Amino acid sequence: MEHSALDHLLAPGGITPMYQPIYEVSDGAPALYGFECLSRGPRGTNFESPDVLFDYVRLKRQEIVIDRACIAAALRNLPHLDDGVRISINVHASTLGRDPSFTEFLANTCRDTRVAPSHVTVEIVEHAPPWDNDAFQRALASLRQLGASIALDDVGLGQSNFKMLLDASPEFLKLDRYFVDGCTNDPKRRAVISSIEELARRFGARVIAEGVETEEDLATVRAIGVSLVQGFLFSKPMTAVELTVH
Amino acid sequence: MTEQKARILIVDDEELIVQAMRKYFSGLGYAVDAAFELEEAQALLGHYKYDLVIADLRLTGIGGVEGLQIVADVHQKCASTRVILLSAYGTPEIERESYQRGADAFLHKPKAMMEIAHVAVNLLDTR
Repeated sequence: MEHSALDHLLAPGGITPMYQPIYEVSDGAPALYGFECLSRGPRGTNFESPDVLFDYVRLKRQEIVIDRACIAAALRNLPHLDDGVRISINVHASTLGRDPSFTEFLANTCRDTRVAPSHVTVEIVEHAPPWDNDAFQRALASLRQLGASIALDDVGLGQSNFKMLLDASPEFLKLDRYFVDGCTNDPKRRAVISSIEELARRFGARVIAEGVETEEDLATVRAIGVSLVQGFLFSKPMTAVELTVH
Repeated sequence: MTEQKARILIVDDEELIVQAMRKYFSGLGYAVDAAFELEEAQALLGHYKYDLVIADLRLTGIGGVEGLQIVADVHQKCASTRVILLSAYGTPEIERESYQRGADAFLHKPKAMMEIAHVAVNLLDTR
């Protein structure tokens, strides 16, 4: 008997969207800047872990269908948000390089869910090149024409390297928790964060620090110049119901 | 110091077999995860460390030898992880190749759960 988890993931309710707030902390009290949409597989399965879920998807080479399913679930379940609050969605670079109608799909999903594309940030995640760079560039251009912004996830890790920075020219650089966690007591981590912040400034981009869990690390990244943050210090990822209450 | 429970990954596309093995080895006090597909097993192996993997040789129905890939993946990730391959179709050539790739045991189905557990416990004891 063959048992494919992919069918379960693509069935209604197979993907549970979660939302983690991103805060602006440049001055005064933290102000809500946006939400990053995250995805979880069915509860009680291996795919409840996003790491396992997306490694499985990449090994099955099903990034396109799962990226679409995650985005559709995230935007359809999204409660009404105040004007100006941004929504980040995760997309594999390989999806952008291989799915010529991705922008059309996003435009239609935004229209159906009444989300302004100009409030959407497409976070590029990538773990395994190659993809068609011309098609990738066309996808980025069409997303920007739609009004969306581009973020590069996991900067400094894996494939999110300098070449990707040049290719994508993102408006946001996501600083992985690996660099943030414990940065207060680690000068080398602080050096990495400073260099990425400097790089972002030269690109005209902003850094978003992920995995901020302590007041000390928050103060450290702020002192370096990072003013957009997310992490358990502020909030864990929430379901749509929890988000409504929040 | 409390001894850490050994962690076992069971890989088989037959849900009933997975359920039975999960119940049996959990009852022996092991932490048990299960995967039904090669890619699901590979994703788990990428994120968790297992002491023992018990995998069916064939996961796709006809002619597959995905178990050999699992043996290779396990030994690339962690040399101390033990691997038992199970098969109802294992030829002497496949069995030989399994051992060459690093399998610690190759068991022919059908096999009583107690016999599988006996091999598993011995392998875990000799890590």
